[in-house]
Amino acid sequence: MTNPHDIEALETARRLLAAATGCATADVGDDAAIGAFEPWDSLAHMRLIMAIEEETAGEVPPEMVVAFGTLADIAAYLESAQTPA
Amino acid sequence: MPIGKPKKVAAKPGPPVILETENYLLRSMREEDVSEKYIAWAKDPELMEGLNAPARSVNRTQLKRYIKSFDNRTKYHLGVFTEPGGVHIGFFTIYVDNKFRSAQTNVVIGDRDYWGKGVVLETRAAIIDFLFEVVKVDKVWGTPYERNFPSIFNYKAQGFTCEGVLRKHIVNVKGQRIDQYVFGLLREEWLASRETDE
Repeated sequence: MTNPHDIEALETARRLLAAATGCATADVGDDAAIGAFEPWDSLAHMRLIMAIEEETAGEVPPEMVVAFGTLADIAAYLESAQTPA
Repeated sequence: MPIGKPKKVAAKPGPPVILETENYLLRSMREEDVSEKYIAWAKDPELMEGLNAPARSVNRTQLKRYIKSFDNRTKYHLGVFTEPGGVHIGFFTIYVDNKFRSAQTNVVIGDRDYWGKGVVLETRAAIIDFLFEVVKVDKVWGTPYERNFPSIFNYKAQGFTCEGVLRKHIVNVKGQRIDQYVFGLLREEWLASRETDE
């Protein structure tokens, strides 16, 4: 990720994942992923998707709900959700 | 020889199942396990929504009959108990298709104090081992509903693959048509992930 929008989306994703897991943003590494980032549990996942929906003011589509597995997935979704079609 | 339908002979129930994990004991539910807590779970709309079943009043007799309907051959109803302590915190139901050697699992953790503590991941791992090693199925699968995010998380975290979305497949308790996911795990995938863990 090199452009400012991508970096902004990554930082937003990090902030949302940190809030959902109760961690500091500094603890959420770029490689955070389900199974590899211990605080990311089932309840945190629910809080995360709720937070993404609040951030994007829309429901996450079903195909994306099952696609979220890494911080980068969330950032990519936030970026696409905020890019005008 | 008279022509007609062969007499149906009910298969004998299989032996009760007992599985141990680091923190929990899974065992076939018994009639004496029916408690006020277990009855209350059936009345809890939030819990029952996860099973897409309406919350309803059930009595002890009905639940005992329900427990007896599981034969430990093609249908299993396993309680989740803390170990040590023996506190009943939830249950699994498992349906085995012997013809195609597959098994579908459902889980409810009724005790909210145990939500977000990895109970499903720990206990379902033992169940998956049991299904592949003892029951000899080749595939384990589950079908969470579209907004059941904790359940979806657990399938992903446990290495299941989302095989598809059944669009507007069922009607939820609110009368809305909703999607249902199909998550599947093959024997070889599970064995490979177990080797990676070790």
